[in-house]
Amino acid sequence: MDWRQLWEICSAPDNVPIVGLIPLLCFYIYLAFKQAHANDQLIAQLEGDAALAKTHHRKTWPFKPGWQKEVHVWPFLLRIEFLAAIIVTIILMVWSITLNAPLEEPANPNLTMNPAKAPWYFLGLQEMLVYFDPWIAGVVMPTMIIVGLMVIPYIDTNPLGSGYYTWKQRKFSIGTFLFGFIILWVAMIIIGTFIRGPGWQWFWPGQTWDHNRLIYEVNRDLPDIFGITSNMAKALFGAIVVGGYYLLGGFLVYSLFRRYMAKDFKRMSLLQFSITQFLLLTMVALPLKMGLRLLWHIKYVWITPWFNI
Amino acid sequence: MPEQPNPEQDPITTKSYAAYYLVAMVILMATLFWALWDEAWTQRPWKAFQEHWASRYSAFLNTARSKSATSETDVEKNPDYIALKQAYEKTYQDSKSQGEDARKKLDDASARLLAVQSVFTDRRAYVNALTYELETSKSDSEKASKRKEIDKYKSEQATVEYPDGSKETYTFPQLEEKYNEIRDERTKRSLELGDVLKPVTAAKAKMDEYISDHMVDLTPQQIDGLKRRATEWVPAIVQINVAEANIVDRCESCHMNTREPLKITAASMTGKGEKKPDEYADAFVSHTQPELLQLHDPEKFGCSPCHQGNGRATTSIEKAHGNYEHWLWPLFPKENAQAGCQNCHAADMVLVSGDVQWPTLNNGKDLFRQRGCMGCHRFEGYDKEPEDLNAIGQQIKQIETQKIDNSKQTAYLMKQADAAESNEEANKLNTQAVDLRVANSKLDGRLQQLDYQSHSLMQDQKKVGPNLKDVRLKLNKNWIPVWLKKPSDFRPTTKMPNFRLSDHQIQAISAYIWQSGFTDPLPKHKPGNATHGKELFETRGCLACHSIGEGDQTQGGTFAANLTRVGEKANYDYLVRWIHNARQRTRPYCPYEKKDIGPEDYAKKGLPYEFDLDHSRCPNDGHELQVQNMTVMPSLRLSPEDAEDIATYLMTQKKQEPSSYADASYMDDPKLKDEGKKWVRYFGCSGCHEIGGFEDEGRIGTELTYEGSKPIERLDFALFTEVAQRGGKDAEPIKDKEDLARLPDGPATEPWYNLKGFFEHKLAEPNIFDQGKVKGETEALRMPNLHLTREQVLDLTTFLMGSEETSLPASYQYKPGDARHDIQEGWWIIKKYNCMGCHQFIPGQQTILMGMKQYQDIQEQLPPKLLTEGARVDPEWMRKFLSNPALSTTDTNRNGVRPYLKVRMPTFSFSDNELRKLVRFFQALSQQPMPYIPEEVPALTTKETDMARSLFSSTAAPCLKCHATGDPNHDKIATAPNFLLAKERLKPDWVERWITDPQAVSPGTSMPSGLFKQQNNQWVFAGPTPPSFQGYEGDHRKLLTDYIFQLTPEEQRRVAASMPHAKAEMQRRSERKQAAVESHPVASGGSR
Repeated sequence: MDWRQLWEICSAPDNVPIVGLIPLLCFYIYLAFKQAHANDQLIAQLEGDAALAKTHHRKTWPFKPGWQKEVHVWPFLLRIEFLAAIIVTIILMVWSITLNAPLEEPANPNLTMNPAKAPWYFLGLQEMLVYFDPWIAGVVMPTMIIVGLMVIPYIDTNPLGSGYYTWKQRKFSIGTFLFGFIILWVAMIIIGTFIRGPGWQWFWPGQTWDHNRLIYEVNRDLPDIFGITSNMAKALFGAIVVGGYYLLGGFLVYSLFRRYMAKDFKRMSLLQFSITQFLLLTMVALPLKMGLRLLWHIKYVWITPWFNI
Repeated sequence: MPEQPNPEQDPITTKSYAAYYLVAMVILMATLFWALWDEAWTQRPWKAFQEHWASRYSAFLNTARSKSATSETDVEKNPDYIALKQAYEKTYQDSKSQGEDARKKLDDASARLLAVQSVFTDRRAYVNALTYELETSKSDSEKASKRKEIDKYKSEQATVEYPDGSKETYTFPQLEEKYNEIRDERTKRSLELGDVLKPVTAAKAKMDEYISDHMVDLTPQQIDGLKRRATEWVPAIVQINVAEANIVDRCESCHMNTREPLKITAASMTGKGEKKPDEYADAFVSHTQPELLQLHDPEKFGCSPCHQGNGRATTSIEKAHGNYEHWLWPLFPKENAQAGCQNCHAADMVLVSGDVQWPTLNNGKDLFRQRGCMGCHRFEGYDKEPEDLNAIGQQIKQIETQKIDNSKQTAYLMKQADAAESNEEANKLNTQAVDLRVANSKLDGRLQQLDYQSHSLMQDQKKVGPNLKDVRLKLNKNWIPVWLKKPSDFRPTTKMPNFRLSDHQIQAISAYIWQSGFTDPLPKHKPGNATHGKELFETRGCLACHSIGEGDQTQGGTFAANLTRVGEKANYDYLVRWIHNARQRTRPYCPYEKKDIGPEDYAKKGLPYEFDLDHSRCPNDGHELQVQNMTVMPSLRLSPEDAEDIATYLMTQKKQEPSSYADASYMDDPKLKDEGKKWVRYFGCSGCHEIGGFEDEGRIGTELTYEGSKPIERLDFALFTEVAQRGGKDAEPIKDKEDLARLPDGPATEPWYNLKGFFEHKLAEPNIFDQGKVKGETEALRMPNLHLTREQVLDLTTFLMGSEETSLPASYQYKPGDARHDIQEGWWIIKKYNCMGCHQFIPGQQTILMGMKQYQDIQEQLPPKLLTEGARVDPEWMRKFLSNPALSTTDTNRNGVRPYLKVRMPTFSFSDNELRKLVRFFQALSQQPMPYIPEEVPALTTKETDMARSLFSSTAAPCLKCHATGDPNHDKIATAPNFLLAKERLKPDWVERWITDPQAVSPGTSMPSGLFKQQNNQWVFAGPTPPSFQGYEGDHRKLLTDYIFQLTPEEQRRVAASMPHAKAEMQRRSERKQAAVESHPVASGGSR
């Protein structure tokens, strides 16, 4: 265990936000679920009691006579937000006093740094370059992330859970969000920061980042394993596999939706459902592709002259 | 929610946040103050430095001032000073009343001027403003009204109140007139006062000047000035900003004393009560080499161009010194500080400022050349002859093609002209053809020049190691594999490095070298006299380059091989040839045909088999041949018998019999030859040796010209990358004790992942970065172990660290266009032939011979010092002397100028190129203008000649007692050159200086000083003046010089014959000398 290496990575000013991110993320997920759990219990209690169900509740405490039913933004919300602003200011000031901007030497066009890493918030995208070609990982995927986020209000047909924490009423939305954010974004950043060393090789935490390390790793394309040689056949084969994934996946999502989220499904139009289904399958495709690449050394599934997947 | 107790009060509306806000605000304010503190102090650590500086430096100056005051009082006690002081006081008293009067008048005028001025400037400003409006107004009516307004204002009356209380009123023009009038008056009064005070100021200035001239240190007044600066200092960044070179150096913000005119040490800057100098004390020292700062004005050069570091950084010591990962030019460590010189002085071989040599860098440069580093590694400026030859070859080819083209074109034009329709056109074409012919003739001239050049370059081209084509003629065959195994086992100080060859590689390499050598017969020599050989070896000057003896017994120079065991390896007949003339080649080499030319090639053309510098054309194709061995070893012009004697002596130098070496008959195995060729190529043997079949082989190493700029990532630390970065207990990978001892700083404990660490480890154990690696025979690192000493590793590391691609503008590079360039060029040659082994060029420089025991009592037997050689001799004579130091084509077994010296000035066969550079070097070194125009020496009248002769032969200055005369009996005991040489050899003005004070020109010379003394601005003879000088008004020194320059052989003989006293004296001297020689048998040994 190379503690020094670990410390060097964690203490690098570039990586401090990521190190901070891990406990903060855990804490806020815990907090959200704690609140959601309390709310869900209250919802269950309210649903069981017709009288209480008519009262307005702002909080997870049972109603007390004499309490205000509604409170104003000023001062009751803003005083908390202002306090938060002060605390964030303190954090930023202390941070900027103690840690200098991680500047390095002037760029040398004849010498590429190794490993060459993007700023921490882009490390997830950079990590994706390992699994897809630059066109897909660098252009298509980020565009889909943005478009997908924009489209959420139009495909979300669940009217419940607005303005309070809940898990039971929004299992699908919250689950998908956590999957997208924690697995696809944060986990990839963490891999990019802590796992990827010189030569963008996989180093387990605590393993020395040796610039001279040599590993044997041959990546093959899926068509090669099946002995397909002609370009046309490769493209065709890949199209069938990818198409098959979306087709089979589509059936699976369809049946799961019908079984577990019948209410939502009924509220959805065909367009809304197909978009949801496509985005969901594309999200799931990323960890699947990572698995193929990391465990079975499969580089690409679908090879065409224009893009590779 | 059963678990949570229900709060009775509404938790949202009733909860108070005051406590949270209080805490948050307190923390926020604390952070704010922290930020302010950080901004003012933490980010500006130089402020603390400057505070400490002000207090410590003032304290230091107080002490310095009291010392200075004491020495000032001493100076003031001097009667000269007292006289000056009295003179001052007298003039002061004399001019006192007059001065006071003048001052009063001046003060009065000034006061009146002030009164008028305040009114006048106010009114003038108003007029000017109105005038501007007038000038910029658009319409005529407006202009007219403005003009009116101005005139009205000017005619208004203004009141001036004078200091004496009186009041006057003036219009504007009157006011202006009054103002000018009073101003002129004041100027006049001021001049008057100046005139009155002039003698007083002058007397005061004289007093002050006297003190500052006679004080060794600064005067108390000067120190007060420094102290004022320290006490009144306001913290500020001190910055040198040179826009043209992009230098911004703020180093002096902490290093406040760098340029102070006192010598300030860390000890004197240590704070009160502190035992050891802290970081502040270390920062406040003055520059250790103030004279360097005088040559390199910090206002132009800044600090970082020499020292490196980050001149802009001010936030921490570490950052400012550039000692962090991302600054590419960290401060040179103290021991490597001279690396900074290399940045701009890469073209210099020897760095001298004033008379101070810079040994670390100079030795580094020298080692790089002498140890043959340049055989494998290209470095700009080193060993450039082969490159130049190549370039010239290409130019020759180009010109030849051009010539052919031109002649074709000429023929074509002539033909065109014949067929031309008009006369005019024919003429035009003809002219063109003629022009082309002229162009061709010019090209011929150029070709000839290039031929001369390549002739010179062929001569200048040298190899570090011996010519291995001669290996069969030269060496004991069985010795070769033993040598290759580990050369330093046989000869610990050898230049030949250890290549870590396997037995098989040794066999193959020796087989190739043996089989590719010449087999020509050598003339047989009879054995000589070893005792006489030993004497010659020790007295002729061999020891200036070569050494002999091992361990403590070693004596001689390190420039060439130690000859202690030469008898085990050498072949006697070859050794004789080598000693007689090392440059003599067995066969000439033709670079054009790429083969060695033998007698058969000459015979084919019916030419005699004769090749030397005058017969250097290839019989086959007429191109320049390599006719000399590429060695710097010169010819000592020994007689063949002397050469035999020395060789015989050297053959006795052995520890074991040559026959005791194990048989190595495999060297004749033709099967090994091909493999050997592979290894010779692989290890780059031809970088240092001439080897058959490898004449055009390139260098195998990486170029090092800009090695100091190499990014650290480009240097392969192999398996030691991590330990080098981290330091600590296991940071040192070198295990071998001998190699470990080569590290300048000892075994590493600190991180050494930097250029210095890499170079040092690489030089100490060149294959260190192979340690732990699994590599094949042809993958392993090839750099051999040069068995360097700790100092040598430091020197070379410094040299490499400084070899950077600099960002400074070209004007900062030391590439002078004037005489200093000649000095620069000359040093390369001086070092190349080890001239400094015998001669002193810079005061304080030690020669090898000077350090030897046998010369301690007979200093006059040392080779002459060349401190002012350029001023001493005529450059044309010098060129002749350097190309033939015997100054004779027939009688060569002697020194031309100093036949009495046993040590011999050798014939180096300098090329024309090198002769030119050397002559220019000596002239430039003594600041002599080139070309030299000899001074006209006036012809003496008979009377003057008689007078001069009487001086020349006077008993008080018997010149011919020591100077050689050409008479063999006398010359045996002479210790100075013959006067007859003077006319052609010396410069008259130098001779005058020389005979006045020889000790000042060449310290330690046996020529007596004080022959002349100064009298009425003339130099007159110091001894009893001969009677013929009665009434002579002229300069005796000049007279004698002129006489010497007109001396004829007959005259000299006459004078010598008429000196019976001197003869007797000479006799006694010679007896004494004989005794001295006998008591130092080593120093004896005349020529046979």
